[in-house]
Amino acid sequence: MTDRLDDAIELLKTTPAMSVESRVMAEVRRISGPTPRRRVFTWPRIATVGLALAAGLAAILLIPRTPDRLTPGESEGIAQFVGHFPGARSVEVVGSFNNWSRGLLHLRDENHDGIWHAAAVLPAGQHEYMFVVDGERWVTDPLAERFVDDGFGAGRENSVLIVRPAGQR
Amino acid sequence: MKQLLLVALVALVPGTVCAQGPGATKLAGRIPPEAVPAIDSLIAAAVAESLPTEPLVQKALEGSAKGIPADRLVNGVRRGLVQLREARVLVGRALPGQPQPEGHVAAVAAALARGLPPAIAERMLTMATDEPPAPALHAAADLVAHRFNPDSAADLLVAAHAMGLHGERLLDVAVAADQELQRGGGRTPADALARVRAMLPNVPTPKVAVTPHGKTGS
Repeated sequence: MTDRLDDAIELLKTTPAMSVESRVMAEVRRISGPTPRRRVFTWPRIATVGLALAAGLAAILLIPRTPDRLTPGESEGIAQFVGHFPGARSVEVVGSFNNWSRGLLHLRDENHDGIWHAAAVLPAGQHEYMFVVDGERWVTDPLAERFVDDGFGAGRENSVLIVRPAGQR
Repeated sequence: MKQLLLVALVALVPGTVCAQGPGATKLAGRIPPEAVPAIDSLIAAAVAESLPTEPLVQKALEGSAKGIPADRLVNGVRRGLVQLREARVLVGRALPGQPQPEGHVAAVAAALARGLPPAIAERMLTMATDEPPAPALHAAADLVAHRFNPDSAADLLVAAHAMGLHGERLLDVAVAADQELQRGGGRTPADALARVRAMLPNVPTPKVAVTPHGKTGS
């Protein structure tokens, strides 16, 4: 036992002092191989980061912002969508403001009372839209103030929404 | 160096797609294959005639999203092209010798699609030649949609504009006329227009962002 203590004391005298953190990190580096700096700039990593950034930018540009962050710019305005769809499982708004893409702007019915609503920041100007109920039923917004024939020959109408720029309110 | 090259490559990819045209980018993989040649042809025609293409792209996307059969989808886009052509003629007549901005043409086409008589659209264009025409066109289309006499509605908007109500404020004029009509009491559309005309230029601005109907802006 005394011999082991003596060995330890000698070792401490000959080994430069290292913090526990330094020693742990040195061991981590030894096990994981290349240093973090070298690994960050490998080709696949750069491509992944680039794609992630592109996807993030696309999401910011294409997806209307959620009601939690409704801060319209000078050439934007806030649009609110409300519909009465008792028993519906899902309601979404699809229109010219989101390139008629599905799955980007969902209405919510937190109270389960059949009143579905959503808000979004949209570019100022005219937008045409319809509700899609339960993922398959296209419904003209009965509360809209403006309508226009959708031009496809079945007599179906789009709702028309005019968003005013927030800066002019 | 490799890193820089890759970053440059990543940055160039969106630019390459955009170089094919924004319409092509939006439509890629989104419309039925059998409709692609005809849609491409219609959009190319719009480009060749210096007409805005975005309304046609949107119409194609809309038809595809709604599952419209290819032949009807193409007809819908073709109808949009015809409306743009009509709108351009109208803009040219209203603003002779002046450039015909795509925004003007698109706004007139949208108003015509909503049922605004061409003559009224022309009056709205000549009323304010140095302003974006969309608000005036929408205000006129709103009044016509609510069954006000088109000429009387245009008279009201021209009077409002002359008294300093420009741009989005013209939409307030249309809203005020509709509200006057809704008050009932045997009030006719002509009465409602006269009452709004009497209150010019003090037409109320919507106080809240959301109207009772749940929409902003009007």
